[in-house]
Amino acid sequence: MKRFVLLTMFVVSSFSSQINVEKKIYKMIFSALFPSNSVVKVWSDEPSKTFIFASMKKVKLVKSQNNADILMLYHNEEIDTNNKIVFANGYLVFQRKKGKAVGGFYWQKGRPNLIFVKKILQKKGIVLPDNLKKYIEDIK
Amino acid sequence: MKRFNIIYFAFIFLLLVSIIYLYINIGQFEEKTKDNIKKVIFNNTSYFIENISSIIKNDINEDLYTTLKKNHKLRNKLEKQMETIVTPSFKYVYMLYRDNNGRYRYLLDGSKDDKGVFDTKFDVNKDEWDKVYDTKKPNVIYQDDIFGLWVTTLSPYIMNGKVVGIIAIDFSTTLFKYMTEIISPLKEIFLYIFVSVLFLFSVIIYQVIAQIRAKKDSIIDPLTHTYNRIFLRDFVTKIDFYNYDIAMFDLDYFKKINDNYGHKAGDYILETFSSIVKKNIRDKDIFIRFGGEEFLLFVYKKKKNRSYAKETIVRIRKSIEDYKFKYESFDIRLTVSVGLVVEIQKYKNIQEIIKKADERLYKAKHSGRNRVVDSDNTINNDTIMVNKLSISQIKQAIDEDRILCQFQPIYRLKSSEIKYYEALVRLCDKSNNLVYPGSFLDSIEGTNIYRDMTKKILAIVFKKIANQGVNISINLNLSDIIDSSIYEMLIKEIRNNQDISKFLTIELLEYEDLDNNLLQYRLSEIKQYGVMISLDDFGSGYSNFSVFESLPIDILKIDGSLIKNIDKSEVSFRIVEAIVLFAHNLNIKVVGEFIHNEEILKIVKSLNIQYGQGFYLGKPIDDIF
Repeated sequence: MKRFVLLTMFVVSSFSSQINVEKKIYKMIFSALFPSNSVVKVWSDEPSKTFIFASMKKVKLVKSQNNADILMLYHNEEIDTNNKIVFANGYLVFQRKKGKAVGGFYWQKGRPNLIFVKKILQKKGIVLPDNLKKYIEDIK
Repeated sequence: MKRFNIIYFAFIFLLLVSIIYLYINIGQFEEKTKDNIKKVIFNNTSYFIENISSIIKNDINEDLYTTLKKNHKLRNKLEKQMETIVTPSFKYVYMLYRDNNGRYRYLLDGSKDDKGVFDTKFDVNKDEWDKVYDTKKPNVIYQDDIFGLWVTTLSPYIMNGKVVGIIAIDFSTTLFKYMTEIISPLKEIFLYIFVSVLFLFSVIIYQVIAQIRAKKDSIIDPLTHTYNRIFLRDFVTKIDFYNYDIAMFDLDYFKKINDNYGHKAGDYILETFSSIVKKNIRDKDIFIRFGGEEFLLFVYKKKKNRSYAKETIVRIRKSIEDYKFKYESFDIRLTVSVGLVVEIQKYKNIQEIIKKADERLYKAKHSGRNRVVDSDNTINNDTIMVNKLSISQIKQAIDEDRILCQFQPIYRLKSSEIKYYEALVRLCDKSNNLVYPGSFLDSIEGTNIYRDMTKKILAIVFKKIANQGVNISINLNLSDIIDSSIYEMLIKEIRNNQDISKFLTIELLEYEDLDNNLLQYRLSEIKQYGVMISLDDFGSGYSNFSVFESLPIDILKIDGSLIKNIDKSEVSFRIVEAIVLFAHNLNIKVVGEFIHNEEILKIVKSLNIQYGQGFYLGKPIDDIF
């Protein structure tokens, strides 16, 4: 019983702390990519992650990619990005989508990792604030 | 008991300290053990890192980054070799380098999960990693939480004296969790014991404080903030009373303050009096409220000044005399009488000294008050002579049954028959000489000894009435009827002898300004048992005709000073004549005393005085036959 309680506590606490980190990073990403938007419209291909965006301030979760400002992708499936800003969530997804994605966020070895792709940023005419410039990678 | 309390207190305190010590030690043990585990982990990872370093050195002699970038196969080979040390504890084994922008990128990654790709960026704790590059020394990063420990061991890979990469091993262990599981209950047990003992200790401290406070309250008089009798009882057992001169104070006419201004004024006077005394004494002098308006002062003897106590007491008496007690709009003047005992060595115990102080206080009172009596023999401005039997001698006489009565007959003048006898108290001294009341009554008035003597006289009189069937009168002061302790004894004796109480007459003396309502009530109660009430020595002193209005008087005894001169003084004659006429009108019988010759007897008879007493008629006799 005690083990079960401890395990539950561990899972809940580590999960909630991980979500909090993710929320902070997403907030930072959205305000960097859309500095003038009062509300950022987000579409995600992973239903289980939508609650994170739904709970964020100044973020609106939309059901159609067409209505979105940014597409948050967790899967490798090809979708019609319709020239929208794409952001990869996961290492493998980022590797696969790095030609399209403006950046990627993933956990590796228990550490949060953030990357912005220089080529795509330039293509989209996005200038990141100084605090995020260290995450820009010149990926060819 | 007191020593036991200290031991008990010390034991609990020691227990508390021991528990705190053990609790702290367990915490230290936990920290020390954690440190040791960290050292073991570091030693183990160091060993693995050395192995990895030697493997890489075997295959790469030139620029590390370039070699690995060019040789994909070599990377795979080295990563496979690194993978061999990966276990559930050594979860990630990898090697990073710092690029020109200060970002860390993968060189090799032997991890089975979350494997990084060569030359891709990996976000790490940059400051800690930079230390390794800058110092060329290993670094260990600990991340400790309640579930376990994460350790990242960083070791520089140096080529040609330059750090070209960092080999990292991420290690995780649940040892801490298990250790915490073992130690936590122990810590909790000690914590519970500590809290319990602390609570017990607090209760004991609270009780000790409460006990001290209660003890202090119990020995301090709440009104005057002086010590009380309870303190005195304990104090006299602890001190060497030969070191003190002892004085007894009594405020003069204090009752009148209460009667005239109320009890609040009385309380104010007592409080102010106490503070005046306290200002005049030292810390080592002890001031005690002995009861009511009586106080005891223990003045610590001064070796160089034997008259210090007397000087102090006289100064206090003077201060009180000069002080204007301001109560509401009234200025009240007050004096104090003091009995002082300085020849302490003459007495066996403290009780005797207090009794002596009481005797001297009594003398001070009966010599005009507002004075200090410090001797049985001398008199001056602040002292008065005392030359009668001491209280202890009187008490001894009562205890040894040396109190007796003589009986003087009182005649019915018309028939020359004895109407009743007046019992006259005498004390038989140790030499068998008769001592008359003038030598002992004053000394014991207002004391328990006086009550005991009255009880003795009543017993003698009732015995005589029972044996002889004659009427006998005894003398009491009006104030004795007011005094509840004497009155209660009197009424009890009358009740015990109620079948013969009708033979008793009480002659009342000293018509003071007393509570007439209480007197009336008590005398009426006495009369219910058939006891006759006589007013003695009427016509002199404070005699007041108004007493007849309130008190149930049966007999009036005209003062002897009027009768003994009645044959020579026209004024005495007229006064007696008026008194007799007045008494007859109220149907009160009249006694003429001091009839010491035939001429006086004739005049008394001519005035229709019913009863006569005097040496001419009959001297006091030792017994009635």
